[in-house]
Amino acid sequence: MHAYNRMMRMFLAVFLFSAATAAAAVPENGKCMSCHGRKDVKSLAGNTVYIDPVKFTATTHSIVGCTSCHDRVSSGHPGDGSAPARAVCGDCHAPVSVEYAKSLHATKARCNDCHNPHEVRLPMFMSGDDINKKCAKCHDARKILKSHAKWLPQAELHIDSLLCITCHTGSQDYVITMSIESRLPGSRDAFKPATYEELAKLTSDENIGRVIDLNGDNQVSLEELRAFNHHLRGKNMRLWGMMTPEVVTHSYQILENRWDCTFCHASGPKAMQKSFIAFPDKSGGYKRLAVEKGAILDILYGTPDFYMLGTTRSTPLNIIGALIVAAGLSFPVFHGFFRLLTRKNRKEDDHEA
Amino acid sequence: MKHKEMVYMTPMPVRIWHWLNAFGIVTLCVTGLQIRFPDHVNIFGAYKAAIRLHNTAGVVVSISYGLWLSYYLIVARSLIKLYVPTLEDLKSGILRQAYFYFLTYFVGKPNPHHSTPESKFNPMQKAAYLVIMFVLLPLVIFSGALLMYVAPLRELLLLLGGIKLLVGSHFLLACCFTAFLCVHIYLATLGHTPFAHFKPMWNGWEEEMVEDVDPEKKADK
Repeated sequence: MHAYNRMMRMFLAVFLFSAATAAAAVPENGKCMSCHGRKDVKSLAGNTVYIDPVKFTATTHSIVGCTSCHDRVSSGHPGDGSAPARAVCGDCHAPVSVEYAKSLHATKARCNDCHNPHEVRLPMFMSGDDINKKCAKCHDARKILKSHAKWLPQAELHIDSLLCITCHTGSQDYVITMSIESRLPGSRDAFKPATYEELAKLTSDENIGRVIDLNGDNQVSLEELRAFNHHLRGKNMRLWGMMTPEVVTHSYQILENRWDCTFCHASGPKAMQKSFIAFPDKSGGYKRLAVEKGAILDILYGTPDFYMLGTTRSTPLNIIGALIVAAGLSFPVFHGFFRLLTRKNRKEDDHEA
Repeated sequence: MKHKEMVYMTPMPVRIWHWLNAFGIVTLCVTGLQIRFPDHVNIFGAYKAAIRLHNTAGVVVSISYGLWLSYYLIVARSLIKLYVPTLEDLKSGILRQAYFYFLTYFVGKPNPHHSTPESKFNPMQKAAYLVIMFVLLPLVIFSGALLMYVAPLRELLLLLGGIKLLVGSHFLLACCFTAFLCVHIYLATLGHTPFAHFKPMWNGWEEEMVEDVDPEKKADK
C-alpha cells in the first residue's frame, strides 16, 4: 500500500511540476537540501550524506521531490539517528525492474550500484565515457580489453568507440554521439571529455553549443561541423564519436548476434544518418544538438576521426573509386575490341608488348 | 624465316615475388571489396574472416615488397637500370611506345621496344612500374599498416589528418591497383602469342622469334 501511494504521489508530482525547476516546484526539497546540500554533512554514523544540489536539480527525481522516495522522515530527524524510509526503485520503474531481474546482471549489482538516484539522468544526457565508467566500477578495464582482444579485431578501438551496453543489452536504434575531447597543449596524454569551463572559453555566448552551432539554430550543419573541425586543429582537441543506443534496455546478456561483426558493420550507410554532438552542461551532465543528416558519411571533414568500416563509407568517394576502376577496365575493352577488328593486319609473331 | 630462341628473362626470386604479390593483391582487392561493401558483398562468409585475410595478405605483400626491393638493390643491383626511365625514355620513348599501343599496333607495325634481360621494360612500363613500386605500393602499405593498428597509432593518424583521410586514400589507392591489374593482365597478352609473356613469369624463359641469319651473309662474316 505504501508503494502504491508513493507511486501515485510521484506521478502526480511529475504531472504537476514537470515544467518547473525542482527547488521551486517541491518546496520540501529546499528544506532537505539546506543540510544535505552542504559538503560537510555526515550521518551520526559518520557516513557522508551530501547530495550535490546542482546534479540533483538536473534529475527527474528532484521534480518528484525528496519526500516521494523518503516518505517517512521522523519528526526528530536528524537528531534521533533514525534513517528516513527509502523507496524501492521498482515502485516506479517496475518494467525495468522486471527486465533487469531476468538478466545475467541481476544477482551482481543493485540499481544503486550503477545509478545514484540523486544524480541519475537519461543516457542521452550523459557522455559515453560516463556511462562506461559505471561498468568500469566493477569490470576491470585491462581484463575487459584482454578478454575482448581474444576474438575482437582492434579491441581497444572498439571499446573506445562503443558503450558497453551497446553490445551487452538488447538496446536498439543506434546513433552516433560525438563529444569534444581535449588534452593539455603539447601533451601526448589520452584525450578526455572537455569540460564546460574549457568550452566556455571558446565562445562569448552563454550557450556553449554556439562553439559549433555558429548560427544558433540548435542544429549543427555540415558546414558548421567542417568549420569546427578545422578550428580544432592545433588546439589539442578532437571530436570523438561513439555508437550509442537511443532505446536503452536493462536486459544485460551476451547477445549471439553481437559476435557477428556484420551486426554493426553491414548495417549500411543508411543506418548512419543520425548523429548528435553532446555538450557538457554546468550540472555535470550533457545536452545534445542534432547534426545535419548524413554528416557522419561526409567524405573528409565532417568527422575526420570517426570511421566505421563498411558503414560510414562516402558515396562520392565510391564514385571516384568506381571511375578509376572503370578507366582501368576500359583499356582492355576498347583496345581488345580494335585488336579483334584489326587482327588480320598482324603477323602474330611480330608484336610483343 | 624466323626461328625460336629461348632467353632467360626472369630470375627465380623475381618470379616468386611476382606471384606472391599477384595473389596477395588480388586477395586484397577481393577482401577489400567485402570489407567496404559488406551489405552487398559476402564472398568470405564472416566479416571478420575477410578482415583477417585482408590483413594477412597485406602483410604478405609488404614482406614480398621488402624482398623484391632487397633483391634488386643488394643482389641484382639493377633496380635503377631496369625501373628508372632514362632521359631518352622521357623525351621520346614513352610517346613512341604509346604511339605503338594506341595506333601502329593495329596496323601491324612491330613493337619499338625489344625486351632483353638487361632492359626488360619498355619506357611506358618503366614509368608505370616506377610510380607503382615507389609511390603507390609504399603508400598503400603504409596506410594499411596504420589502419591495422588504429588505437595504438592514433597520434600518427591525427597528425596525418584523421582516420577518414587515411581510409579514403587507402581505398582510392586500392582502386588504382585494381585498374592497374586490368591493364597489366591485358597488356601481358600482347606477346607473339597470348601467353608468351605469362610463361617467362612462370619458368623464367621467354621464347623469342628471331630472324634466321642468311647463310650468305653468315659466310661474308
